[in-house]
Order: sequence, then structure tokens, then C-alpha cells
Amino acid sequence: MGLRTGIRMGLIAAIVTIFLILIGVHMLMGRLLQSWFRVPAHWPGVWLMVVLLGMWAGSRAVGQMKARSWGNALLAGASAGIIQGALVGAALYLLASITQAGVDLRTWLNQMSKESIGALTLGFAPLPAAGFIGGVLLVSALAGAAWRERRLRVRAARLARGERMISLREHLLEIPAISQVSNNPLSRRVLIGVFMVLLLIAPFFLGQYWNYNLGTVGIYVILGLGLNIVVGMAGLLDLGYVAFFAVGAYTMALLTAPQPHHIQMSFWLALPIGIVLAAVAGILLGIPVLRMRGDYLAIVTLGFGEIIRILSKSDVLTGFTGGPRGVRNVGHPVLFGKDIGNEFYFFYFILIGVILAIIITRRLEHSRVGRAWRAMREDEKVSQAMGIYTLKYKLMAFAMGAALAGLSGAIFASRNSFTGPEDFVLLVSINVLALVIVGGMGSIPGVILGAFVLKGLPEMLRELEDYRVLVFGALLVVMMIVRPQGLWPASRVQLERPRPELAEEVEAPAELAEGEVGS
Amino acid sequence: MALLEVHNIHTYYDHIHALKGISFELDRGEIVALIGANGAGKTTTLNTISGIRHPREGSIIFDGQPIHHLPAHEIVQLGIAQVPEGRKIFSRLTVMENLDMGAFTRRDRAAIQEDLERVFKLFPRLKERRNQLGGTLSGGEQQMLAIARALMARPRVLLLDEPSMGLAPILVESIFQTITEISQQGMTILLVEQNANMALSVAHRAYVLETGRIVLYGPAAEVRENPQVRAAYLGEA
Repeated sequence: MGLRTGIRMGLIAAIVTIFLILIGVHMLMGRLLQSWFRVPAHWPGVWLMVVLLGMWAGSRAVGQMKARSWGNALLAGASAGIIQGALVGAALYLLASITQAGVDLRTWLNQMSKESIGALTLGFAPLPAAGFIGGVLLVSALAGAAWRERRLRVRAARLARGERMISLREHLLEIPAISQVSNNPLSRRVLIGVFMVLLLIAPFFLGQYWNYNLGTVGIYVILGLGLNIVVGMAGLLDLGYVAFFAVGAYTMALLTAPQPHHIQMSFWLALPIGIVLAAVAGILLGIPVLRMRGDYLAIVTLGFGEIIRILSKSDVLTGFTGGPRGVRNVGHPVLFGKDIGNEFYFFYFILIGVILAIIITRRLEHSRVGRAWRAMREDEKVSQAMGIYTLKYKLMAFAMGAALAGLSGAIFASRNSFTGPEDFVLLVSINVLALVIVGGMGSIPGVILGAFVLKGLPEMLRELEDYRVLVFGALLVVMMIVRPQGLWPASRVQLERPRPELAEEVEAPAELAEGEVGS
Repeated sequence: MALLEVHNIHTYYDHIHALKGISFELDRGEIVALIGANGAGKTTTLNTISGIRHPREGSIIFDGQPIHHLPAHEIVQLGIAQVPEGRKIFSRLTVMENLDMGAFTRRDRAAIQEDLERVFKLFPRLKERRNQLGGTLSGGEQQMLAIARALMARPRVLLLDEPSMGLAPILVESIFQTITEISQQGMTILLVEQNANMALSVAHRAYVLETGRIVLYGPAAEVRENPQVRAAYLGEA
């Protein structure tokens, strides 16, 4: 048993490892570690990747075994490691000897530079280098196998003792300090207070660059909370959400900028107008699509988003919208005669917007409206039969979501002093939807966390340059497989995942352990 | 005067003529059964009354007021509640939340609390499971929940669509017992059923529907004795 899963996993891991080496991911890891932890050389990152891949192979091989014994685990780990090591070693031998012969592999494989291969051979001749990487993989696979076997045993023992398996969240709650804080409203409030104070003083220490980026995260939090109302609470899949963001931004821009209209209204006046116009746009979009659901609704809203963008850049409307070149010199907020239009003040301004959005969402969630949305999301026909005027509540969802998008759009345009059609591409809608899903649909802390991960993390991955998006995409894929319910799911969703002791058919312990394989 | 009068209604699905002139009435406190085969128009009739569909011709008068042009949510407010076919509870809401949704159009909190107690008395199982998600209930419990949810609207007429669907015979029996009990408390009930035998045993009067038309009606006992009905719906030669 162990042999078979070991061979299979060894093969898979070998292919993955060779592929990652060929596209140069080991060098990326090296550079990332170098810049994050100020490591002097890039080899620690390179070899960390190799070791992790080896451990992954061993651990997966053990996780897939049906019969549990230390002998089997050893066999699985060893066979996975030997196969992975031999294949990767052979590949390295080939690459290294070709390079040594003076052939530049970069003609075919863009990333296969001398340094890239040198980071793996460490200057040895091809044969000893191949042996070395093979050995490292074998040892790592054995270590991974042992680690996994032990973990599975601990779990099985726990189940045998009648204890149920606990999630990370419950693990954390077992720590007395944490459980006390989460159970005691006062200390909870103190914690939130401390967090707020930290947020309030943060801009003094962070500097321009991070103030700006945190502001961007905040803008996306507002957008996420708005879309969460439409998608998460009311269950209407809206792929053209960026349209309302655009309405807010353009309202702010056209009303406050010197060109093209000479209105130059105050920021404070333009802001509520932008919010109201966005809400109106939400209702206008809502009316024709009221009878649509699911995929149809998604396609129509997608079209609507594109229409708004194309209108904004069309030549016909250049005199009105500024056309493809956008609107420059958008007005800044002025308070007591002082221009507060830099990223430092905007940080606070956006923070207020975020808090406002959180309060609105929370109130809606527990209101009559929130209940109507929940029921509609479940079953529209039956909701009607319950006496819910679904048209009205759908329009309300669109309007509320659009108003928040309008708010963030208006702030966005003013902060950048500029807005143009390229700010409102489809990718923005998709990003916002992704952050809602990654964070956990319907969950306020989830949306905030999602915005940090989706807008903050790419900034942290800057080192990777072109690979940023690739690595980021891979992270998203992994995350959705490992944690489909989102990073911080709504408590309602947690209710839906039955715990073993609640489920009527308790599965066999071995299979339960299997259920956790993804981690 | 009858509580609910249906006069010659014609309902279409695009160009499919589903109801071809149906007329019947419900008196206060009655159980009226509407029986017929698949596709006869039973569910369409209920949906037309509750406003989910609208008739192209004909009228529906509820307590002296025409309602056939009203939207569904207003009809619920007037006092007609529907228990949809196939139960259709909100499976990802808890039992309590489901019941809450039933009382969505009402604002009289004290009375809602009263009705909740009443419903829990009728279905003690639901009280035990009030914090469980609807989808985790058994089929019979889901049917109880669907009926309880409709009762939470404090309706004057209850439209029941195939309460026996997909339930074990023993559960069907207990559901019909409850229906009788609700009726004895004064509720007017329109019962749509394929299980003609069960429906005719609790109903006062019955109408037989065939491809969008009423082909037979009368007191339930009489309909039950009709040789055609016996052959077609009761499985007797």
C-alpha cells in the first residue's frame, strides 16, 4: 500500500518539481527570501523550496495510504523520495551537462540561465550535483512522511478518545487568554479599541508608500462590503460592479475638476451627489434585470459595466466625460481652508468610509431587509409566496451596493487627482468579487481580510515583478482548494459544515483524517 | 357568500393554455380537495390564486374583493398562505428563521409570539429542532415546517400543494391528521393532492381536474364513490 502511493506521489512531485525549476520558480523563492528577511544570498530560498517539495511528496504519500503503520509510512516516504530524487536528479544532470557543454538553454527556456542552474548544482560537477539534490529530496520526503504519520496518529488517538476534531479557530479558543477575550464583551471592546488606536497612529509611521497602499486596501474594503450586500446577502451575481465605482468617480471628477466643465464644486458637495447618482444607477440597472437570475444576471451586469466604461471613453462624449484621456485635476477635500488631499489625510478619510460601510452592513444584516435578502437568496419563488415583495428588495440591494461603490469611487478619483476609463476595466469587478469570495462571502471581517490579501499581498510580492500575478494566481487557486469557504467565513456558513459529533452518519476515523489532507 | 370564489380562470404559460376556465369556491372552515393527475393544472391553480401567476381571463374573489390582479406579496397580506409543492423550505436557514419568514408581512410582535407557541404545540418536533438548519430535517419534518411556516402568516385560507409528496405512508397519515386538526381550529383549506384516497378522506368537498378543466365535483364522499374516480385515481377496477 505504502509503496504504491509512494511511487505515484513521487512521480507527481517529480514532474511538479522539474516544471517549477524549468520556469525558474526556485530563483524567485530565493529572491523573495532575500528581500523579505534580508538574507545575504539567494540559495536559502532556492533550497527551502526543494526541501518543501520533498516534504510535500512524502507527506501526501502518507496521507493517501489506507493502512496506517510506521512501516508503511517509511515505505511510502522512501519510495516517493527515491523516485522524486532520481527523476529530479536526472533532470538536473541533463541541464547541468548541457550548460557545461556551452549550450545556452535560454534559447528554449527563458529562465534557464547559468546562475539559475548554478543555484541548484552549487558549483559541483553534474553527477555529484544530481546526487546531492536527489539525497536532499529523499531526506525531505522521509521527514515529511514521518511528520504526517505522527500528525495522523495524534488525530486518530484523539478520535478514539471520543474527542472530536477541532478547527484552528477552536484551537485558538483553547488558549485561556484568547477565549477570555472572545467571551468577554468588555475585553473584546478593549481589543477593538487598541486596534483602532493602532490604525489611528499608523499613518504617522508608515510613510507615503504604505499610507497610499493601505488607502487602496481601504477603498477595496468599501467596494467589497458593497458587493457583499449584492452578492453575499441578496445572492445577485453582479459582474459589472465597477460601473457604480465609475459613476462615483466620474461624478466627483466632473463636478470638481476645472476641465471639461468648469464647475469646480466643493469636494464635500460632490461626494454625496456621487453616492446618490451611483445609487440611482444601481436602480436603473436593477429595473431591466429584475427578472433575471444567476448566470443571466451575471452576463447582463457584465455588459452594463463595459457599457459604462466604453461610454466614458467614447469620442462622442469627449466633451462631457473627457474621453480616453480622462479628467485631470480632480478636486481635493478642503477642511478649514486646508487642502487635505494627500495620502496621509486620505487614510483617515477612507477609514471613516470603511467604518461607515461596516456599520451599514451590520445593521442591514440583522434587519427585516437582511432577512428578506437571505430568503430571496435561498428561493425567490417561495419568498414571494411568503409575502416578500422581491422586486423592491432586489432594487434595494442594487442601490445599497452601488451607493457604497459610489462612495469609494468618489474618494478614489479625488485621491488620485485623476480619473479615466482605464480605472474601470472589468478586472476591477473581478478583483472585488474575488476578494469577497476569498475572504468569505457574507462575512464582514472576511471581506476586510480578503481586501488585504488581494490588494495588500500583491504589493508585498513586488519583488517578483512579472511573476507577481502568476504566483498570486497560484496562491488563489491553492487557497480555494484548501479553504473554499473563505479565510474568515460568516458564522452562518460555519453552521452549515456539520461537525463530526453533530452529523448523523459519523464517518470512519480514517476517512475523517483523510478529509484534512488538503492542509 | 363563499370566502374564496374562483370564476372561469384561464392561465397560460406563454402560449400553453394550462387552465381552461376553472371555477370553484371555498366556504369558511371547509377543506376542499383538488385532485387530478400530473399536468392537470393543480399547482397552476394554486399559483394563480396566490398571485405567483396571473390569469389571462376570469376572476378570483377573496372575501368580496377581487385579487386576481394583485401581486403575490399583497395576497399574502390579505390572508392567503401557500405551502409550496415539494416543501421548498429555506434549507440554509434555521427552523426559527424559516418560521420568521412566514410571518414576514406581519408587524404585530405579540401575536406572532402567540402563533409561534401555537405552531410549536402543533409540531413539537419543530420546537426541539428550532436552531437546526432547515435542510438537515427529515422529509416529514420539512413538510411540517412548510405548513408551520405558512401558518405563521396567520392566514384565513391555507393552500396546500401535495403535502404527501415523497413521504412514507406513516408520515402521510400523520400530516393529514394535522391538516384535519388545523381545519378543526377554523382554518379554510384548499388541498391539492395526487394521493386522492388520502385527500378525499379528510376533505369536505372535492373537484376533479383533468387537463385544465374541472370534470367532476361534489361532496368528497360522493366523489369517492364515483366509478370513474375509483378507476382513474383510486386504483380500483
